[in-house]
Amino acid sequence: MAFPFYWMLATSLKSPQEAQQAQPIWVPERLKPANWRVAAQLGAAGGTPLWGGYQDGRSVTLRIYTDRMGPEPQVFIPTAVGAFSDPRAEGTQIRTRYQGDHWEITFTNASGESFRLLPAVVLLSKSYSSYRPELPPDAVRSSGDDWRLEWVNLAPGALGYVFHNYREAWLAAPFGQYFFNSFITAGTQVLVGLLLAAMAAFALARIEFPGKNLVWLMILATLMIPGEVLLIPNYILLSRLEWINTYYALVVPWLASVFGIFLLRQFYLSLPRDLFDAARIDGASYWTQLVRIALPLSIPGLVTYGIFTFLGAYNALLWPLIVTDRPEMYTIQRGLQVFIGEAGSDYGALMAASTLAILPIVLGYFLAQRQFIQGVARSGIK
Amino acid sequence: MTVLLALVRLAVALELLPAWAYGVGTILLFGVTLEALVRAYKPSLLPGLGLLLAGLGLGYSTAPAVLLALLGVGALYWAWAPQMSEREQASFWGWLLVWPAVGLLLVWQIFPSLYALWLSFLDRFNFIGQSRFAGLLNYEILLTRDPLFWKAMGNTFWFVIFTVPLGILLATLVAILLNERVRLLGFFRTLYFLPYITALTAAAAVWDWIYHPEFGFLNWVLGTPGLDWLSTPQGIFALAMAPLGIQLQGFWAGPSVAFVAIMVMSLWHLLGYQVVVILAGLQNIPKEYYEAAQLDGASWWQQQRYITWPLLSPTTFFLSTLGLIGAFQVFTQVLIMTPTGGVLQDTLTITLYMYNKGFRDSDFSYASAIAVVVFAVILVLTLVQQRVLERRVTYET
Repeated sequence: MAFPFYWMLATSLKSPQEAQQAQPIWVPERLKPANWRVAAQLGAAGGTPLWGGYQDGRSVTLRIYTDRMGPEPQVFIPTAVGAFSDPRAEGTQIRTRYQGDHWEITFTNASGESFRLLPAVVLLSKSYSSYRPELPPDAVRSSGDDWRLEWVNLAPGALGYVFHNYREAWLAAPFGQYFFNSFITAGTQVLVGLLLAAMAAFALARIEFPGKNLVWLMILATLMIPGEVLLIPNYILLSRLEWINTYYALVVPWLASVFGIFLLRQFYLSLPRDLFDAARIDGASYWTQLVRIALPLSIPGLVTYGIFTFLGAYNALLWPLIVTDRPEMYTIQRGLQVFIGEAGSDYGALMAASTLAILPIVLGYFLAQRQFIQGVARSGIK
Repeated sequence: MTVLLALVRLAVALELLPAWAYGVGTILLFGVTLEALVRAYKPSLLPGLGLLLAGLGLGYSTAPAVLLALLGVGALYWAWAPQMSEREQASFWGWLLVWPAVGLLLVWQIFPSLYALWLSFLDRFNFIGQSRFAGLLNYEILLTRDPLFWKAMGNTFWFVIFTVPLGILLATLVAILLNERVRLLGFFRTLYFLPYITALTAAAAVWDWIYHPEFGFLNWVLGTPGLDWLSTPQGIFALAMAPLGIQLQGFWAGPSVAFVAIMVMSLWHLLGYQVVVILAGLQNIPKEYYEAAQLDGASWWQQQRYITWPLLSPTTFFLSTLGLIGAFQVFTQVLIMTPTGGVLQDTLTITLYMYNKGFRDSDFSYASAIAVVVFAVILVLTLVQQRVLERRVTYET
């Protein structure tokens, strides 16, 4: 059951070459503490120990231990495919020298700009019988008579090294905005939905008013309507109201929940009648009864409904897919779906983004496990 | 009344009714209320008038008017509450509390379902161009000339067969085992439940990666490098029968390998929920039954067969109803893992097909016809299920 989660986490910490192995790698290089120390040192040289960087005027030195002093390695900074040049490649001074038992490669930033990442490629002759770079390369390829060692970032810092994929994924798409949208929509849906459901359920359970049976019948009928039927008419309605790409479209159609009314009405019916009668004799209005008696006594029911609604709203893909087509209105799942389409074969970043997307719910689950499980169990018992 | 007015306003917005209908509706409703007010002067009618004004404001989406009217209702209530009789108070509060939820349900669920029915009778409705009434044309095409619809129905059928009975059986087994080893119950329950709260989008991305033809974990475990699970359209029954020389075609070839891969993922996602619900059901069975059975010398298997299974039947019945409805809504995992509906549309589900028809082909009326048919099918199936299964359900007295 837990394996897919482990696999997601492990992949999210892998370099592309590690991810794309026929033989699975169980512990990626980025999880090894020895590498964290080196990453922190390199990061401190170029920027900060935690998040690294390649600031103007700083020098980053990489050591490659070899068995002897052989041919000098060739070092350069790769430029992105399609770009004419990279200011880093133009403005970096690279010096290599042999020191006792290792090659020392020094990158000095003389470009006048500061960068987040320092990518590097080292071509090392295959005539060395053994070699060991301080920081393991992200990819090793064969290139003629040389080994081609590639680093996506030579000045990562400890956190920048471990969470490289997370940082890149986070910066590749406006995930902050996605999270904000998700929390706003799910939060409003829970809070307003709770209030509306509690009000209606209380009236249906405890107040005798003309037309009550009609209302109850209507709610029972609504229970029969499957969600699919509503997709198209609601979309048309929203577009006629010009609500597409607004929070209204994400929230309003699902505010009133028959499930919530049912659940809470059941709760209110199970509360002793005398409680309400006593309050009534003391002159409490119906509103006071609802707020002072019914709501506090139905907290388990409210929690169940809240958890279900939040999960449903936060995890939904189909509805956001229909009513939003602008990135600033995407919810996290919608954003993730687009990201999956764009990331292609960058499985490290993809898994990092997926992990981020489920993180708030999983954290909430571990904090309030009992409420989650009891809430769900309660949904099955009448 | 306000709700009715809001619905009229909605109909105008949708061009179902001409614009003057709203005005006429307003004047009529206003007149009725005023007349009642004058004839039998009742303070409880005043808030009703306020609500009417609120609805009026809603109709033209002017927020200040709505707010003002609501404040007016509040003020009127304060002024008249002491003079209201008990019955009037109950009626006032009852409607006031129920009204927001009922209004929303009417506008966003009941009215749209009727609107979907209306749309399904139109010919190729979308925002461009005028559509005309076409009667049952969409249904005729759908039911008699649309192989993709039947493909999607067939897939949904297999999905139900493979996930509902199998899932419940598996979950019952897991729950019984968990229930007996109480010490690690919390840990395992947490473990099983985790997939259920995970967003399907992210979960599908992970499974997509596990199923990857070249670097996927599954191919490494099974030693089948290069097998592209999600693009294999052969039916599993056809594959199983092929060595015996039996050729199975069409529906009888069974769900495709790709669709089975998606079903496995869905089972993984749902199992935790089923386990938790069944565990709750198990804990409701009184321990005395088992003790009595043990005294009579019943074996473990007999206890499960004659105590657990029948007493669990309300829970399994609930889960199977839910699973049936859920199977018709399978969408997210299919869209993520096979965005085009798979090779030869072998993973096309009914919701994905509806989404494609409505939002890719912009044929809202055809998509509505699909939705209406699905609605009818679900209704019939749940009714049949209730008739057939409910007789076997044992409710404890």
